[in-house]
Amino acid sequence: MGKQAKISAVLVGIAAVATVAVSAASAAPQATPGVTAKTIHVGGTFPLTGVASAYKTIPAAESAYFAYVNAHGGVNGRKIDFTVVDDAYNPAETVPAVQKLVEQDKVFALFGSLGTATSLATWGYTNQHKVPQVFLASGDAYWGFCAHKACAGSPKPYTIGWQPDYASEGRMYGKYIAANIPNAKIGILFQNDAFGKNYITGMQQGLGAKKSEIVDTEGFAATDTTVTQQVLALKAKGANVYFIAATPAQAIAALVTATKIGWAPTTFLANVSNIRPFLLVAASNGANLDGLISSSYLPNWNQQNLPGMKLVKSIVGTYAPDLSSDLAQGDSNIVYGMAVAWTFVYALEHAGKNPTRASLETALHSMNTSKNPFVYPGLVIKTSRTDNFPIEQLIMTKWSGGASGGMLGVGKLQNTGR
Amino acid sequence: MRRRLVPLVLIAALAVLLALAPLGLSDYHRGLWAHVGVYFIAILGLNILVGYTGQISIGHGAFMAIGGYTTALMSHYHHLNLIATLPLSFAITFACGLLVGIPALRFRGVYLALATFALAVSVPELPLKWSKWTGGSGGMQTATTPSNLWLYAVSWTCAALAFAAAWLLLRGRTGRAFRSIRDSELAAASSGVSLPIYKTLAFGVSAAFAGVAGSLFVLVTNGFAQPNEFTVLLSLQLLIGAAVAGLGSLWGTLAGAVFVGLLPELSTAVPFVGQGHGQDVVFGLIVIVVMLLLPNGVAGLLFAIDSRFNAPIKSDPAAS
Amino acid sequence: MVAFAVKRKTKVSTGGSLPVLLGLVAAAVFLAVGSLVSNIFAQQTVAGLAQGAIFASLALALVLIYRATEVINFAQGEMAMATTYIAYQLTLWHVTYWLAFFLTLVIAFFLGVVVYGVVIRPVQHRSVIALVIITVGLFILIDGLVTWKWGADLKFMPAPFGNQVYHAGGVSFSRQDLGVLLVSILSVILLWVLFQFTRLGLAMRAAALRPAAAALVGVRVDWMLAIGWGLAAVLGAVAGLMTEPSQFLQPTMMQSILLYAFAAAVLGGLESPAGSVVGGLAIGVFLNLIGQYWGFATAELRLPIAFVVLLVVLLFKPTGLFGRKQVRRV
Repeated sequence: MGKQAKISAVLVGIAAVATVAVSAASAAPQATPGVTAKTIHVGGTFPLTGVASAYKTIPAAESAYFAYVNAHGGVNGRKIDFTVVDDAYNPAETVPAVQKLVEQDKVFALFGSLGTATSLATWGYTNQHKVPQVFLASGDAYWGFCAHKACAGSPKPYTIGWQPDYASEGRMYGKYIAANIPNAKIGILFQNDAFGKNYITGMQQGLGAKKSEIVDTEGFAATDTTVTQQVLALKAKGANVYFIAATPAQAIAALVTATKIGWAPTTFLANVSNIRPFLLVAASNGANLDGLISSSYLPNWNQQNLPGMKLVKSIVGTYAPDLSSDLAQGDSNIVYGMAVAWTFVYALEHAGKNPTRASLETALHSMNTSKNPFVYPGLVIKTSRTDNFPIEQLIMTKWSGGASGGMLGVGKLQNTGR
Repeated sequence: MRRRLVPLVLIAALAVLLALAPLGLSDYHRGLWAHVGVYFIAILGLNILVGYTGQISIGHGAFMAIGGYTTALMSHYHHLNLIATLPLSFAITFACGLLVGIPALRFRGVYLALATFALAVSVPELPLKWSKWTGGSGGMQTATTPSNLWLYAVSWTCAALAFAAAWLLLRGRTGRAFRSIRDSELAAASSGVSLPIYKTLAFGVSAAFAGVAGSLFVLVTNGFAQPNEFTVLLSLQLLIGAAVAGLGSLWGTLAGAVFVGLLPELSTAVPFVGQGHGQDVVFGLIVIVVMLLLPNGVAGLLFAIDSRFNAPIKSDPAAS
Repeated sequence: MVAFAVKRKTKVSTGGSLPVLLGLVAAAVFLAVGSLVSNIFAQQTVAGLAQGAIFASLALALVLIYRATEVINFAQGEMAMATTYIAYQLTLWHVTYWLAFFLTLVIAFFLGVVVYGVVIRPVQHRSVIALVIITVGLFILIDGLVTWKWGADLKFMPAPFGNQVYHAGGVSFSRQDLGVLLVSILSVILLWVLFQFTRLGLAMRAAALRPAAAALVGVRVDWMLAIGWGLAAVLGAVAGLMTEPSQFLQPTMMQSILLYAFAAAVLGGLESPAGSVVGGLAIGVFLNLIGQYWGFATAELRLPIAFVVLLVVLLFKPTGLFGRKQVRRV
């Protein structure tokens, strides 16, 4: 029993010493983590792979915008260094990824991380370590309510969202149905986690007295790609209004399956999925898009000549040519990414010449601008100590033009705030 | 006398090294090595069942899930002290292992593999079904989240205890009974070894180890328990870790744990395939190469090196 | 011994005992009556058959390999997925869908033979544990290679059968579902013809059943087993291509299908091709109907239910519906 134990011990010893050496070399305490004289290091987790990989163009667009800003002097002389980490929309992967960004990469802030469940898995950790968790790509109402109120055990002042929250969106659809669709029987297909449930709560609030018009809700797991059983159940309950609270992959399945089983209700689609290239895939698999209702806070398909949209095109052309074909197909994720990145630069510029995490937080809670070129014309981004929802406006949209059309605005921007 | 002393001194040296290492490691690396400790315990347990008793299981991720959720739920709802959840986890998964072991007596070989595979696939779905209590796909958080130093200390202490317990169990009558079942069930039964008792016991013990590993796994993941942490792939990784370690011998366990625990980190440095999920290429290749060329894993390699230096007597019949 | 193999001319005598066949006929009658009575029953049955056909295709591949080499190939789903990506690449190179389909089948055959020769043959006579580990390693390796080459984000292929939906008395049938069903049944029939009526099929059956005796009469056993793996890879490719429209193209697309295919193969009998098809269709329909009529059985329980079926079969009739009882001689 002698030599092999010795060899094991030696091998382990070498491995341990190597790890110690490597980590000792990389440890270097900083005053403000992530900020040096020349750079600001931020990081975010995104679904670059997996079921929600429809959103992979968001961090690509954000990186392109930062490259554009960096090429024009950066923020107060500092360039933004953006680390994008893949978590495959899986909270089990997000947690170690965020730990690594905070503990090993020592980022200044977490920026733009995508996902509701993924963010809920990490917001306890980030707030405990006082790391700003900025502009989550998620519309959970929690991001707006919990800055000073205790949610899941404690207030979360370091977390802030950006887009209009899902509950408000659901509320808007509910009010619309109550006002415009008599004798509605509503069937809701929802992702069975906090993301999907936000919409149901909102729709119930919007319907008010007509809440009982929701005849059935069917949930699916975030990793499922088939929803046949659920859609069949909704049809069986006699629903004539169909609300799809899903990300693009399942939205495609939801739309195609409805056609396959011969069901043609009035369909509402959560605006996280009204991404044109993916709706076109649904159309090519048989879904009928005309009349599909959704909402938006970004420019419509027929607003390509706005100065902001032209800027998107030029930035993509120079800094992210790989995104050109997606942009040409109308991938609004790219516009979204630039809009959020613009807002982050705006906040950084207002965080002082030498930003700290505290000064960033102050800037984030005193935003007031309508100058974001990438959002719907006239949209205001506003926060205060008591208002943690940056955007509280939406416009209803409807698809027209068949397989070569797009989502067009209906009416005007509405206030969806509380 | 000297033959006994040398390995004891070496084990002591290893223990000291492991104890002192966190002082020099960065906080992030302490967390990584805590992960390795978790896999050490799980692979140890799996080896008892697969390597020593010859019963295949591709379902130990399910026991890790049960242990992990026990800790998360007890801490979240009852604010139970995190360390106190470990023995509770051990007891509950031991019982589950026995429950699984009893019907498993009827299965052999490939059918046992499929039955345990069924377990690995089904158990992680259950928190989704009862999401009101388990947090569903949003996961469940413990009441307190320990520091990386704490995690390192606790997981390696448990690993040391587990190793000692496994060694004591396997060198005695139980261990001989296990090995006889692996070598020939018929011969074992004919010599009076009770197959039902020892096979079920093997399931129970290995499940208990996996349960504790699962509890620590949740703690290492910032106290967050979620079904996707316990997919089929986890069960497959444990089996592979045990194979690389060397089935039927405890000495390679550390190598197996390092392989499974650190490979995702290290493989990002491999050229060509490094980025993103190309780590699976490295992982899969190594497993296939190991099975083709080193059928007894790292432990087998160590025995081979040892037998070159020492007497022609094979030191452990398990390595054959 | 070889003569014994020739005697089995019809599927009925392969192992399906009378009670099992009567049960299946009763089930078919139940489904027909139910469909006539209730539209939603019919819709669920049709959807279940379409899904079940996909399980059946992959289960058929599993059974083929198990019959030939007694190996449970955990990498079958990943092999199917990888060949689907190859078809995708061909369509990116502007090859039309159906030409890409058949080219992929040819490529899949060669890949199956290569995998057998390089990875399986050297370890064929080792323990079950070793074989399971090797196929698991293959699973991970193939997953890694596909991710490395094409990435793990969602991709989409053109729909194989078009998007038309036919309506008959309140029930809708999509051309897609009907196409999948037909292709799966066609594969089984072709395979059956191969095994029953060709010399190659005879040699393959002999090599699987009595390798030593077959070798004595001149059958090249190793090549027969390799061809078995090749054919299984072809079936896997078919399964993958039929799955893509509903699961989209991503490296994990076949993972859940593989799990249901295991349940289907065990239900039908690990040694019976016809059994795997019946098993697949049965599981597809059963899951849909139980989901429809038993409120507790929500979508999260589909996998656990399929595996409860697997466990029940293993406990009470381990050789499955169409399997033959095996006696262990000591």
